[in-house]
Amino acid sequence: MIEPVEIVVVGAGPGGLSAALAAAHAGAQVTLIDSNRQPGGQYFRQPANELHGEPSRHQREGQALWQQVQSAGVRFWAETTVWGATTEKILSLNGKDVPGTIQAQAIVLATGTFERTSAFPGWTLPGVMTAGAAQTLLKEQRILPGKKILLVGTGPLQLVLAAELVRAGAQVVAVLEGAPIFRNGARHLSALWRQWERIAEGANSWLTLASHRIPYRMGWGIVSASGNQQVERATIARLDDTWRPVAGSEEQIACDTILLGYGFIPFHALAQWLGAIMTWQPELGGDIPVRDSNMQTSVPGIYAVGDGAGVGGAALALVEGEIAGIAAAAQTGHQTGRAAQRIRSLAPALAREQQFQKMYAALFTPGAGLYALGNNETILCRCEEITLAQVRRAIALGATTIKEIKSITRVGMGDCQGRMCSHLIANVIARETGQSVNQVGMLRPRPPLFPTPITAIARTPSEQMEVAHP
Amino acid sequence: MSRIEDSSRFRRGQPVTIVVDGERVPAYRGKTIAGALLATGHRAWRRTRHGQPRGLFCGIGVCFDCTVTVNGTTNVRACLTPIADGMIVETGIPMEHQP
Repeated sequence: MIEPVEIVVVGAGPGGLSAALAAAHAGAQVTLIDSNRQPGGQYFRQPANELHGEPSRHQREGQALWQQVQSAGVRFWAETTVWGATTEKILSLNGKDVPGTIQAQAIVLATGTFERTSAFPGWTLPGVMTAGAAQTLLKEQRILPGKKILLVGTGPLQLVLAAELVRAGAQVVAVLEGAPIFRNGARHLSALWRQWERIAEGANSWLTLASHRIPYRMGWGIVSASGNQQVERATIARLDDTWRPVAGSEEQIACDTILLGYGFIPFHALAQWLGAIMTWQPELGGDIPVRDSNMQTSVPGIYAVGDGAGVGGAALALVEGEIAGIAAAAQTGHQTGRAAQRIRSLAPALAREQQFQKMYAALFTPGAGLYALGNNETILCRCEEITLAQVRRAIALGATTIKEIKSITRVGMGDCQGRMCSHLIANVIARETGQSVNQVGMLRPRPPLFPTPITAIARTPSEQMEVAHP
Repeated sequence: MSRIEDSSRFRRGQPVTIVVDGERVPAYRGKTIAGALLATGHRAWRRTRHGQPRGLFCGIGVCFDCTVTVNGTTNVRACLTPIADGMIVETGIPMEHQP
């Protein structure tokens, strides 16, 4: 049984909530799906239900938006993953008390991102984790990720996270910013116009770090981590313009936790499966769907918003979500006369956030050196434990694309479906074969997108099984 | 690791006990398995097929590095799964992955 739905929104972060609200306000029947227990995504992540405490400003904003979404009559399916999708706008679901397969008239993808990492020696040691992991522990669990924390990466989010950790009582040993902001920053100052909240948050974080005398080192990065069974120390170094460590500048720093925050990679698998034409935009995170001014992809009725359609932050996601929600509702027959005018009225907000997005991309896109830190023993594919040496051997055998490397080595065939390693391996192949990352390509995920119990897959109608493998 | 709610700003959930590899681990409702493990100083819990220690990595359910066996079900993500009183958690290498 394929259950028909009018508009489905995948992902309940800022973009998805905003899209669901706009579409429901226009009169559409909206179903919102998220794999988490609670709506909000990473940005609005709420404290776990059973913990009581003062919510932060972002958490209060998220709660207010969620209340509006609920009163607009949006149906919410929590803890539900979309594990398959076909060009007929059919989605395969795994969740409690939800249909196994739905077919929508319009789909808004707000699937967000996952974190860009770097494969340096020691990066698989317990204690090395993403900045997002620390953020989640802090916001949702009220737990510190470690005792002596080193933050490495790029962008103001690292600064904000470091300040939050310090305020929560953690010892932050240093914050390393890979980008040479002072050299490049002045050209982009105009993009900060009317971004007062962001400026205040950044300045506030800076003051917290300064008052605790925490070193903030610009143009520095991680070289390796080491320790017995878990992280005990890091080697750090000054970086050149391409983010390669400068020989002779290395220092050792004692820490039990290393938080990686090198920006984000759009989670675009569903857009790809639904048939959307993709474009390679490294400054926006990598492969993203091509979209028109209504946030519609190349496939009529498939919209994509937020970081998953090009990294740009929560404020941009909110605007894009609203546009897509209005457009999707108009497409299914609601308020068709008013849609164009309403979308036009959002143009100034959209332009302002897009300008900020451009500045962010220009300042905080990591250089190629980030992908050149591994040695032969360094693991590139964490799931299958495939090392750089094994990938090099496959290249020596004549492999030039990521697909060929996958066939030879099993990279990207583990439980994470290449989400963690695809960009690392593509960069290695590009460097060692003299191609661009775009030519090498990324791993194409296959259904099921997430490990899914066979009982859930058995609920898929058999006539759909064939097309479920695009 | 430290729990931040030890400070007066936050109140904890109900105290519960989970069993991790036979060891009784005190925890508070509202935590995930990963949260409960980190809060009691456990940093590494999975072993890869090659015997390497792994713990929390992405923290949002996309990397599958933190998986444990819960009440007999293998490959459960510790970072997403809320604890329940009496939950039996086994770390290490699930049987079907042993070489």
